[in-house]
Amino acid sequence: MLTIKDLHAKVGDKAILKGLSLTVKPGEVHAIMGPNGSGKSTLSYVLAGRDGYEITGGAAEFEGQDLLAMEPEVRAREGVFLAFQYPVEIPGVSNKYFLKAAYNAGRKHRGEPEMDAGAFLKFVKEKAKFVEMDPAFLNRSVNEGFSGGEKKRNEILQLAVLEPRLAILDETDSGLDIDALKIVAGGINKMRDSRRSFILVTHYQRLLDYVVPDFIHVLSGGRIVKSGGKELAFQLEKEGYAWLEPGRPGP
Amino acid sequence: MTTAALPGVERFAALFEGERRGLPGGGLTWLDSARKAACEAFRAQGLPTIKTEGWRFTSAEALLKPEFVLAERPRTRGGFGRRALCPIVFHRIVVQNGKVQPDGDGSVYSNLPAGVSVKSLAEVLSEDPESLQKPLLQAFDKNGLPFAALAEAMFGGGIVVRIARHARLDKPLAILFDSGDSESGTPQMVHLRVLILLEEGATAEIVEESVGSGETRFWTNLLTQVVLGEGASLKHYRLLREGERGVQTSSTFVEAGRSARYESHVFNFGGEFSRSDLRVRLAQDGAECALSGLSLLRGREIVDHHTVVEHACVGSTTRQLYKAVIDGKARFVFDGLADVRPGAQKTDAWVYNKNLLLSEDSAVRTNPEFKILADDVSCKHGGTIGQLSSEALFYLRSRGVGADEARRMLVYAFGSEMIERVGLMPLREALAASLQARMPEASEGGL
Repeated sequence: MLTIKDLHAKVGDKAILKGLSLTVKPGEVHAIMGPNGSGKSTLSYVLAGRDGYEITGGAAEFEGQDLLAMEPEVRAREGVFLAFQYPVEIPGVSNKYFLKAAYNAGRKHRGEPEMDAGAFLKFVKEKAKFVEMDPAFLNRSVNEGFSGGEKKRNEILQLAVLEPRLAILDETDSGLDIDALKIVAGGINKMRDSRRSFILVTHYQRLLDYVVPDFIHVLSGGRIVKSGGKELAFQLEKEGYAWLEPGRPGP
Repeated sequence: MTTAALPGVERFAALFEGERRGLPGGGLTWLDSARKAACEAFRAQGLPTIKTEGWRFTSAEALLKPEFVLAERPRTRGGFGRRALCPIVFHRIVVQNGKVQPDGDGSVYSNLPAGVSVKSLAEVLSEDPESLQKPLLQAFDKNGLPFAALAEAMFGGGIVVRIARHARLDKPLAILFDSGDSESGTPQMVHLRVLILLEEGATAEIVEESVGSGETRFWTNLLTQVVLGEGASLKHYRLLREGERGVQTSSTFVEAGRSARYESHVFNFGGEFSRSDLRVRLAQDGAECALSGLSLLRGREIVDHHTVVEHACVGSTTRQLYKAVIDGKARFVFDGLADVRPGAQKTDAWVYNKNLLLSEDSAVRTNPEFKILADDVSCKHGGTIGQLSSEALFYLRSRGVGADEARRMLVYAFGSEMIERVGLMPLREALAASLQARMPEASEGGL
């Protein structure tokens, strides 16, 4: 599915990713944890193709193709999805219109006929139910005036509509109360299947109580310094990230 | 006599002298002397240059070279309905190259409700001139508005809309200014007056639409006067869809009586140059106005938009919001003044202008301001100049929406707020389609 080899990236003059390697197979859920500034969000943005990051070395392949050479919209149409840590408000563009444009862009890319407005409305209302979202949100401007929880739920709605092959969730649990977290996690769990893969980028282990990963990786200084199974999360929860600092003993 | 050798302002004065006897109402003493006085007021001001107050961004003197001649008969006729955005279900009066088309010849306006009259200004001046003496002689401040004075002197025709006490226009009236090619290809001009007179309690929705259809350079100079009696209400729309060689200068004077309401929506969707001056006087207690507009400019188009709202009574309200999207090498100027006169307590006024720049070569100058001479007022104003949000663009693209489509979505979202304010549903839909069709092309690959 996704193979990242020795990836180096910088922002301006500052190197952020310094030789990151990761392999994600179909159906796997990988959690990437690490302290602030370790490069978690940079990894998410680099994979989604945001401007402002310079790739200085290494490679990332998605389904055998050079992911880093694709425009962001092509990555999305090929099946890569990024749930944003801070979803963007877009006044004047209705959620419904936005979702339909995104959905049909993917269909067109795959050579499928576009879905008309009536059929799409029915389809998207089903998906809204799936993430327990009031259909009234479909008529509102994208994320405008949404609470933190509503914004995150809207990200999961987009995930459900677009049905990507690889979903990268950047700090999806941040700013959520426990009820919202349960709904968001429930949406993610319902989307899990043997072909769809997830990368959960998170500072805290809390989300992993609800979405249980197959693998956990610890990112520090722009590299993965430790990988393990789900039990690694409990260890991190207990000991924090302090042991990653130079001169401290590892767990 | 040839006027080509004369300097700008004298050329017009000489042209006026040569034409004035044949202009509508020629021979009426009161009108002749008013035209002469207006011509003198025009000569005294001269053609504005960038050194003229209020004209610092466009030299009309340069713009009006080479010489324009009074418009000739168009080479082709008809096709009015197809060119206009206004739905054909509206009452419609067509002015082609300055000539009002009779009913049935493009115009459809005879089937009006009781108390409503829509007529050619020239026709009224020949049949019942005294009925227009008062509005045509009504003094207005022409200072800084030389083209208003020129139109007052030179007007070759126009429209008179009169709505009697408590009468209402059953459906909107579209006044279509259609400019077409002439045989000669020489730049053409028309000077026109529009009178909209609503008596006490009358209501109307009027759309003035300017459509350019030709290759010939065409200048439309409009002087519009609106008088609203007590409790009268006018929704006044102006759509500019000139050709790339279309120039429009318009001066609109509105006098709103007690508890009267004036609503203005201006859409600039094309034209080489548009200068508009809208001056509203909220003359009596409780009068209100809501002014809004959207300009979508590209190429080398220029829109120079000026509003002055005079609050001259107690408890009057203004809401102003103008937006502009500026692409290519286009330029937009907004000057909006709320002038709160002494004693105009409880005035509630907003003046806002928001702009979206799409290219490095586009430019905007915004100046929302207040002059406040009363102490118990609530006034807010602001002007913003921004560009498309790179965050929003990336968000849309990260969902599969192409870069160009994402830009169009964001531009449309910025502009659509102004279109949603249009209460007339068929017009709103036509405007939305027109906005879609004018989405930026030049910005593709840029930004």
